[in-house]
Amino acid sequence: MTEASEVLAALSRAVLEGDDESVVGLARRALDGGLTPLETIEQGLVPGIRRAGELWEEGEYFLPELVSSAQAMKAAMEVVRPALARHGGGGELGRVVIGTVHGDIHDIGKTLVGTLLAANGFAVSDEGVDVPLERFVDRARELDADLVCASALLTTTMAEQRELVGALRRAGLRARVMVGGAPASREWAREIGAHGYADNAVAAVAVARRLVTGEA
Amino acid sequence: MRPEELRDRLEERVLLLDGGMGSLLMSAGLERGRAPEFWNLEHPERVEAAHRGYVEAGSDIVHANTFGASPPKLKAAGLEGRCREVNAVAVTIARRACRAAALVAGDLGPTGLLLPPVGQATVEEMAGAFREQANALAEAGADLLSIETMYDLREALVAAEAARATGLPVLVSMTFESRKRGFFTIMGDPLGASLAALADAGADAVGCNCSVTSSVMVGMISEARRSVSAPIVAQPNAGQPRVTPEGTAYDASPKAFARDVVAMVEAGARLVGGCCGTTPAFIACARAALGTAGVR
Repeated sequence: MTEASEVLAALSRAVLEGDDESVVGLARRALDGGLTPLETIEQGLVPGIRRAGELWEEGEYFLPELVSSAQAMKAAMEVVRPALARHGGGGELGRVVIGTVHGDIHDIGKTLVGTLLAANGFAVSDEGVDVPLERFVDRARELDADLVCASALLTTTMAEQRELVGALRRAGLRARVMVGGAPASREWAREIGAHGYADNAVAAVAVARRLVTGEA
Repeated sequence: MRPEELRDRLEERVLLLDGGMGSLLMSAGLERGRAPEFWNLEHPERVEAAHRGYVEAGSDIVHANTFGASPPKLKAAGLEGRCREVNAVAVTIARRACRAAALVAGDLGPTGLLLPPVGQATVEEMAGAFREQANALAEAGADLLSIETMYDLREALVAAEAARATGLPVLVSMTFESRKRGFFTIMGDPLGASLAALADAGADAVGCNCSVTSSVMVGMISEARRSVSAPIVAQPNAGQPRVTPEGTAYDASPKAFARDVVAMVEAGARLVGGCCGTTPAFIACARAALGTAGVR
């Protein structure tokens, strides 16, 4: 195994195990060893967080493990983000506001989408979880956002996504809206007037590209 | 009421609890996103009517409208510093609806504070919140205390301790989901071990509420019965919530619910009722079904 692939594997493992201490050192080692920020994110961090999500789906992981993995991912991103900016990943694709809707504290899917968007060249403002409508609207206005992404993981909170579409429209903002989360679907997005839907983080990047470039 | 009295009653017969309150108030016009506790202050007559519906349906125990009346929850709702008042008013309203026909349980839900690693709250913070609410409910004359929808065993234990200190009987139910390796809370607390820990901590009855439909609840009660000897509480939802243009809807029928209530009793539950989406019609059906089945 090469040094690079070894570091990437260790990085994935540290994220999966929620080890937010060793993950920082490993992220530095990856960058110092010549890996690009995008490689570090996509081949190191993302496989780890994705596996954590799978273990959650499979019933092996619970909220504490999932949150620990998300925190490790965030800690690593603190190291990678400045390097990303130096590599010209500083948001030339578009400005994005992302968050999990009010009443919902699910973090991981939203964080994963936000991270991948940033890694792919969007300027991302992650507003966290339990984000009130007004905050989405205010941030979209402040940043003149191209795209607002709203995650909802509960059937009881997905109605907030509908409210958000209306609130942005009433505020007269140009930002387009992408929704995601377990109960959301393409049909749901269409019904509430959202511009895009993605059922996983990789797809979300493609949808976001399409929405901000205005292609189809 | 003393804990022994409740235990004696449960030896005699199954006690029927009430059904959902928040979902019922929403269908009576409570605005989406507004805390049900506001209505204790603004529309006491509507809260009383909801309770009365349950008493008339045959509930032996009615929950006061205080699920979210812990200090941190009230603060989040915009009712900061009004814990004592809100709980006192709610117990009075429930008492008016029950008269001598049913007991009033003070209802304690999760504080919304999250312990590490998910959040940064401390056990001490939670303990203080539960003490304040439990004392307010006891002072207002609740007959017993019912802790519901707990998803973190650590919080449930803190709540149980605060509730027990009032000297009233204490019911504790947690909310579990069906996962690959069995029934767990979202925090990963397994059903059997959690209920056993709560019974060891002195809860007079332990069990499960919310999250699942009545058919899944039957299996949970069987597992609970294998794990504890304390009386068991069961309060499932009226099916799965679905979001519709009109609001949240639940898909189970009162009849199917009532059939499962009988199955829960046969599986070992001694206190049965409903959670989100259940209405007086569900409880009336359950009362009739228990009578027909002849279970005691």
